[in-house]
Amino acid sequence: MPRLVYYLAVIAVLAALPFFLASYQGDVYRKMLLWVTLALGYSFLFGIAGQVAFSHFAFYGIGAYGVVILWFKLGVPLPLAVIGAIAVCAVLALVVAIPATRLEGFYLALATLAFAQLLIVVLTEGGEVTGAAAGIQRYALPAIFGVRLTGPYYTAVIVLLLVGTYAILSRLERSWFGRACRAARDNSEAAAAMGVDVARIKVIAFTLTSTLAGAAGIVYAFVDNGVAPTSFDIDKVFTLLFMIVIGGSGRLAGAVVGAVLLYLAPFVLEPYIGHHHPLVYGCIMLAAILFQREGLIGVFDGVRRRFARARPRSMELAA
Amino acid sequence: MSDLLDLLVTATASGCIYGLVALSYLLMIRPTGIINFAVGEWATAGAFAAFAFLTLVELPYVVAIPGVVAVMLLIGWATELVAVRPLVVKGAPIIAPILALLAMLVIMREVIGWTFGPDQFRVPYPFGFRRVELGPLGGSPQNFFIIAATLAVFAAAWFFFERTVWGRIFEAVAINRRAAALMGINLARVTAFAFAAGAACAGLAGLLVSPSFSAHWLMGVPLAVQGFSALVVGGVGRVEGALLGGLILALAEQLTQRYAPIPSGYAAGVPLLLLILFLMVRPTGLLKAREAR
Repeated sequence: MPRLVYYLAVIAVLAALPFFLASYQGDVYRKMLLWVTLALGYSFLFGIAGQVAFSHFAFYGIGAYGVVILWFKLGVPLPLAVIGAIAVCAVLALVVAIPATRLEGFYLALATLAFAQLLIVVLTEGGEVTGAAAGIQRYALPAIFGVRLTGPYYTAVIVLLLVGTYAILSRLERSWFGRACRAARDNSEAAAAMGVDVARIKVIAFTLTSTLAGAAGIVYAFVDNGVAPTSFDIDKVFTLLFMIVIGGSGRLAGAVVGAVLLYLAPFVLEPYIGHHHPLVYGCIMLAAILFQREGLIGVFDGVRRRFARARPRSMELAA
Repeated sequence: MSDLLDLLVTATASGCIYGLVALSYLLMIRPTGIINFAVGEWATAGAFAAFAFLTLVELPYVVAIPGVVAVMLLIGWATELVAVRPLVVKGAPIIAPILALLAMLVIMREVIGWTFGPDQFRVPYPFGFRRVELGPLGGSPQNFFIIAATLAVFAAAWFFFERTVWGRIFEAVAINRRAAALMGINLARVTAFAFAAGAACAGLAGLLVSPSFSAHWLMGVPLAVQGFSALVVGGVGRVEGALLGGLILALAEQLTQRYAPIPSGYAAGVPLLLLILFLMVRPTGLLKAREAR
């Protein structure tokens, strides 16, 4: 019960925040929350399940395009379109996962990279259905009970998505499933010997996180009320990877820290280096891998451990 | 008919470029197991080095080619020194250098983009652009130049692996790293050499495409994608596989673009489909690695 109260308080604070922000800042804030959501799922896939897959943003795109095509182009009622888009993501993720997770080493990375690139080709060449290079623009959510879900009001939807994703992943992380994922990541033979069905664990982890990315995509579709292929290109998934490695790979808190920092960095750096902020990402990423493998959350852990060790001694002195 | 033959020349030339990029991946993967996605950016660096030597300083091609190769050898060696060696020394898992190289990819692209700006930079053709005919085959001299240069590189690579002690050392490391180290092979030196040679190959690919496409800071991504598709189709085991994979991909792509009744943009998806197909059906590629003897 206290956990539920805690979650509700977080939802309330995060959803209320944009009412105190200017409209542009509110927009930045909403997109930041979406990046955090994506980073959480990717952190589970890459850090905990140990799969180097580059298709996360592709599923984000499939979710976004899926719902818009179903609802706006084909006229399916919105709730059904949302369910339909999630189903499309889940089925596609499963279809990709079953052969792809059997691949060893970097072949999974290549297969998912090819899948992501193929999606961009399909989106840009899709003609009427996907709106080609310009994408699909100018649609808007209908009013629900007379309330238009736009701007600050829409933030509540994103916050629910974010907190929901976090709740699912943090429970899974600490469950039998999370431990099985870590075991399969660290030593698949040993995990199999302990009775973990490695192939199945991998497929489930991939399908689940990709479907969560798809759900985030559905929410994204109504943030700008427009989708275009360029929003889902290959480079985005590298940024996502940098976020979780810099924040701390395999730790959900690390994903949050990394996503917030890297998402906001360009706004701070803009006056100094213009649009070349990936340069800074790259340098921090390189430094993180060379010197601080656990990322920023590792630094935080180190500090906390030192204090935890120091405290009893100081109490001794006081006595 | 002559239309088809001309298409074959063009496709062979692009296949050669894909093959060179695939060879670059292969040179690094074979002894180290590290896939370096920065290969596309190395090709960009090669193209810009070519722009610097050929357009800015106006050196002749005979001087510029060794110049570009020298610059690329240096870049490859420096990359290995910064992003790979410290991690290998520390005994980090194989994913660590791959991530570090991804960081290098972004750093390199942004440095090039920042230095030169977002424009396209013209690089002169070595032999102009009149039409050349060799028997029934016709095409631009650049295409024939690309094919000849690539064949020379692959011949050199073949000679290196089959006929020199260094090539044998490479193979030994590829087959069993630990046993090779126990036999007194200096693994660090092999790795450094692999990265330097890989960079030189990718840089040459950049140099060869730069007259036709101009040097541009984002030119690397498609080359990197085509290159690893070619690598998977041909197989990571053998040098010839890289060239074979590149040729198959380019032929499939250009024949689809020319003759298949679908929008030409979809042809860009053909190599990707082939890649996925090969990963599912035959992940070892067309040519298998030789067994240890």
